[in-house]
Amino acid sequence: MMQTSKDARALIEKYLKTEKQKSFRYDFFVDESKYEKWEDVKIGQEGMAERSFEVKMEDILAYLDGTLDNNPLFRDEEFAKKTPWGGLVAPPLLLVPIIFWCTGTGSGSWIRTPGAINPGQKIEFYEPIRVGDTITIKAEAYDKYVKRGKKYLTYLSEFRNQRGQLVAKWWGTLILPTSRSDEKHRLI
Amino acid sequence: MPEKLSFDKVELDYELPSLIRHVTQELITKNACASLDFNPIHVDPVWAKEVNLFGVGKTIAHGMMTMTFLGQLITDWCYADGGKLKSMDVKLIWPVFPDDTITCKGKVVAKHPRDKGQSFVDLEISAENQDGQNVAVGKAEVILP
Repeated sequence: MMQTSKDARALIEKYLKTEKQKSFRYDFFVDESKYEKWEDVKIGQEGMAERSFEVKMEDILAYLDGTLDNNPLFRDEEFAKKTPWGGLVAPPLLLVPIIFWCTGTGSGSWIRTPGAINPGQKIEFYEPIRVGDTITIKAEAYDKYVKRGKKYLTYLSEFRNQRGQLVAKWWGTLILPTSRSDEKHRLI
Repeated sequence: MPEKLSFDKVELDYELPSLIRHVTQELITKNACASLDFNPIHVDPVWAKEVNLFGVGKTIAHGMMTMTFLGQLITDWCYADGGKLKSMDVKLIWPVFPDDTITCKGKVVAKHPRDKGQSFVDLEISAENQDGQNVAVGKAEVILP
């Protein structure tokens, strides 16, 4: 079985700071055989992601630091209070760690496929996310297709908060490789 | 104090202040931890070389990091004044490699007047690398106060 290399692991472990990061199964090779495959996805199938994401300030700060975002609206409570937002909010793309946290090795696990390529994404944003929110995801297999020989898969993920309010709709697409992770990388 | 941003005042063809980000393997791995996306395609240079990723054997940055930079272009511009991202639709058309420098740009291309608090603009957004090659192109809708 493939493993994330020693050098890569050393650099990763330097930056694992939050509770979620430290408990996360970060070696995407390990459960590879369990991930959903393009061939197995049935369009229209729906499912709740395996777990929810409880938003902590450390999750937001980690995302800001990992994307070089210094906007005080997301970090500085005093500043944020004076804006029309009335207090801190999360940056809109906090959806990224949320979806990777909530998705395990079951429904939607194809997003962990080693060698998958991101060709572009469409996201609609509704209610903002704030510290203390608990976000859940319902995902629907939305489309799969072959284009110029490459295999595309799209899920529509609906993010909701603990009040049931819609937070975001994300049409997430990846090109899934046709090679195994121990072979020369191929998309066709 | 710069003038507060508003839907009425913003003009068509207005160009947002651009945002520049230098990408390194260190940043990519840090972003992997931040986003919980540890795909070896991003974090493992040894594997990238072994499988000859993209025929060049190098890791690539997360497409979602580029999209997040495009998000920052917008949040830096309007969020403190109460602007809000309504949607993003982005195509990632060229890989971002370690040691690339990415410049994000945005331009107001349409205005949609609505009831108070719902009016929004369309932005054409793009990100290019140090060679002037676009790596991402797309559209964002942004609600302005």
